[in-house]
Amino acid sequence: MRRKLFALFLALAMVAAACGSDDPVTDPGTETTAAPTTMEGTDDGTTDTTEAMTDDAIQIEFWHAMADDLGAVVDELVDRYNSSQDAVQVNATFQGSYDDTYNALLAAFETDTAPNIVQNFDLAAQTMFDTGRLVPAHTLMSPGDADSYLAAPRDYYSDETGMVALAFNSSTPIVYYNAEMFEAAGLDAPAPDWNFSDFQATCDALEANGVEFCVTFGTVGWFFEQILANSGGLYFNNDNGRTARATEVEFNKGQGAEVFEFLTGLIADGHAPNLGNTWSDTDSVFFAGQAAMNFDSTSGARGMQDGADFEVKTAFIPHSDSSERNGVVIGGAALWLIDSEDDAKDEAAWDFMKFMTEADQQVTWHTGTGYFPVLASLQESPPAELSTFWDENPNFVTAIEQLATTNTTNADDTINYAVLGGRAGPFPEIRRIIVEAYDAVLNGGLSAQEALDEAAAKANQALADYNAFFE
Amino acid sequence: MAVTGHVDASERGVSAIASPGPSMMKRWFKGSSAYLYLAPTFIILAIFVYFPIVSSLRLSLNRVAPFGNQEIFVGAENYTRLLGSSEFWNTVRVSLWFMVGTVPIGIVLAVGIALLLSYPVRRLSWLHRMLIFVPVVISSAIAGVLFRLLYNPVVGFINHWLSFIGIDGPNWLTDRTFALIAVIIAVVWRQLGFNVIIALAGLQSIDDTLYEAAKVDGASAWQRIRYITLPMLSPTLFFLAVINVIISLQAFGEINILTDGGPGQATTNLVYSVFVDAFVGTSFRGLASAQAFMLAIIIMVFSFLQFRGLGKKVHYQ
Repeated sequence: MRRKLFALFLALAMVAAACGSDDPVTDPGTETTAAPTTMEGTDDGTTDTTEAMTDDAIQIEFWHAMADDLGAVVDELVDRYNSSQDAVQVNATFQGSYDDTYNALLAAFETDTAPNIVQNFDLAAQTMFDTGRLVPAHTLMSPGDADSYLAAPRDYYSDETGMVALAFNSSTPIVYYNAEMFEAAGLDAPAPDWNFSDFQATCDALEANGVEFCVTFGTVGWFFEQILANSGGLYFNNDNGRTARATEVEFNKGQGAEVFEFLTGLIADGHAPNLGNTWSDTDSVFFAGQAAMNFDSTSGARGMQDGADFEVKTAFIPHSDSSERNGVVIGGAALWLIDSEDDAKDEAAWDFMKFMTEADQQVTWHTGTGYFPVLASLQESPPAELSTFWDENPNFVTAIEQLATTNTTNADDTINYAVLGGRAGPFPEIRRIIVEAYDAVLNGGLSAQEALDEAAAKANQALADYNAFFE
Repeated sequence: MAVTGHVDASERGVSAIASPGPSMMKRWFKGSSAYLYLAPTFIILAIFVYFPIVSSLRLSLNRVAPFGNQEIFVGAENYTRLLGSSEFWNTVRVSLWFMVGTVPIGIVLAVGIALLLSYPVRRLSWLHRMLIFVPVVISSAIAGVLFRLLYNPVVGFINHWLSFIGIDGPNWLTDRTFALIAVIIAVVWRQLGFNVIIALAGLQSIDDTLYEAAKVDGASAWQRIRYITLPMLSPTLFFLAVINVIISLQAFGEINILTDGGPGQATTNLVYSVFVDAFVGTSFRGLASAQAFMLAIIIMVFSFLQFRGLGKKVHYQ
C-alpha cells in the first residue's frame, strides 16, 4: 500500500515538474501552489508571447462583450487597426455578457489590472461616470469632433461638458413582422406614427385571419422604457437624470400607466404569449409562425432575416393614443477609456477608439451586425457600398430612419429629454423591478398603475441607496 | 477526504514502528510533520475559502459602493434590513419549498430506480446505469436550455404532448405556481443519476446472506425490503439526505436559465437573490454578503437538525 502511494506521488511530482518546465514564463512567485499556478501560468504565457512579438508597440487592453458573430467582427476590426500601424498593439478580450464585463472591470479596479478600453452598456452610463477612473472623451477630442457623430448616440453618453464615452454599438427597438401574414390579412405596412389603437386594430385583423398570436415580446424592461419614451414620458426626475442626479422615478406618472397597460394587456388578453423575461423564446415563436409580430432590437435584424423562412419586414414601435410620436432612445453600448495614469497609453487607446468609429470601420460594423453607424456623414452621404447594402436590406433602413426621425428637440427648441433616455446608477436593478411589475399585473391581480406604483417605491429605494454614496 | 484518511492511517502505523523511543525532537517532528502534510490543503482552503469568508463578513457589515472604492460601515444594518424585508423572507420560503419539492422525491425515486437496477438484467446493466447517470454530467446551464425548449408554452414539446390528451398546458415558466414546479422537475432530473449511483452502491454492499436467511425464514419480498434493505441502507439514505438538502439550498443554474428568479420573485431562492444583488448591474455587495451569511446559517441549522434527528436512526453495521 505504502509503496503504491509513494509511486503515485512520484508520478504526480514528475507530471507537475513536466508541466512546470513546459512553461518558462511562469511567474516564479506563484510556483508554490499547484492548482492556481497552472492557470495563471498559461494566461501569463499567452500575453507574454504576444508582447514579445511587438515589443516596442504600446500595448492596449480592450475588453468587450460581443460574442460569436459579433465578436468575430470586433476581432476583424482590431486586426485591421493593428496591421494599419506599428505604434500601438490592441489586444481584444471577450469578457462575457455586459454584466460579466462590468463585474470583471470592478474586480480589475480593485487589483489594478484594469484594461485601457472597456465596452459597457447604456444602462451603466451613470455608474461608469461615478467610478472616477475614466478619461472623458471630450478631453482628448479636437473642437468640432463631436459634431461628426449623430446627435442621439453623442448626447446619450455626454455630460454637461461634452462626450464622455464613444458610442460604438448603438441599437434601438423595432417591430419585426411576418409580411406574409400581413398580406394574407389584407394589411398594409404599419404607419410610422401608429398608436396603441392602430396596433390593436392590426391585432384584431390578424387574429380574425387565423393568426394565433398577434405579437410576441419578452417581459423585459426595455420595451416599456422605449414605448414610454416614444409617448413622450420621462423615466426619471431631473430631466431623466440628465440635468442632475436622478432621485426618483417618473415612470408611474403621466404616460406610464397607459403604456404599461398596453403591454400587459397584450399578454392578458391573449394577443401575446407570456414567455417571461426572454430575448430568445420570442424568436422561436415568431419563426414558428405562431406570432405575426416580434418586438426586438435592431441589432437582431440579420438574425431575424436569416432565421425566418418567410419574408420579415420591419416597422417603428407604437406610441400611446394620448401622445404624439416622439421617437426612440438608443440602446447598445459604448467604448469607455479607463485612466491608465500614462498619457501615452491613453492617447494610444483613444487613437484606437477613434479608428473604430471611422467611416470604413462603421460600414463593416453596421453591415456585419445591424448596429447602426454612429457617424452623421454616413447617413447624409453614404458610400456606394452602404447604399447597395441598404437597397438589399431595407430592414436596416427602418432602424436608421426610426432614429433619424426622432424628435430630439421639442417644438420650443428645448431638449426632449424623454428620447435622450434615462440615466441613473441603479438602472439595471430598476429594469429588473419592471420585469417583476409585469408579474404583479399578470399573476398578482394588480392594475398597471398599482404595479407601477409598487415598482416606483422599490426603484426609489434603490436610487436612494445608490445616491447615498454621493451626498 | 477519503484519500487523506488513508494516508494518515498508514503514516501513523509506519511511524509507530519506526520510532524506537520517545524523544522531544522526534515527538516535535511527528507533531509538526502532520501540519506539513496538511499545509497544501490548508493553503488552498485559506485562499479560496477562509479568506473569502472573512472578507464577505466584512462586506456584510458595510454598505459597498457599486465600484468598490467606497465602503460605509453600517454595522448590522444589512442584517436588520433583511430581517425586516418581505422579499428576504420570500427568498427563504422559496428555498424551503424548493428543498421540500426536490429532496424527498429525489431520494425516493433514486432508491426505487436503484432497487430495479440491482436486479441484474444480464449484459445490459451497464447501459441502464449509464442512461440513468448521463444527466449528471450535463451542465446545469445546458439542462436549463433544454428544459426551456420543452416548457415553451407555444412551441414547446410538453404542452404539445399534453394537448394530445386534451389538456391545455400551463405557462410553465411564467405562472407563479408552475414555475417552481418546473424548476424542481429539472433539478430532480439532473440530480437523479448521482443519487441512484450512491443508492445502488449502498444496495450492493448489503450482504446477500441476510436475504438468504430471510428467505429461509419465509419473509416476503416487501418484508425483505422493509426489514433488511432499508435499515442496511440507512447510512446511505442519511448521506443522501444531507447532501441533497445542501444541494437544493444552493440551487442556481436551472433557476438562472429557466426563470431568472421569476415570475416576480416566485423562484428567487436565497442563492439567486445573492447573485442578483451582488452581480447584476450596479451591485449591493454588502446586502448580498449578509444574505450569503444567512444562507450559511440556514444550511448549518439543517445539517445540525439532520445529524441530531435522523442521525440517531441510522443503523451502522
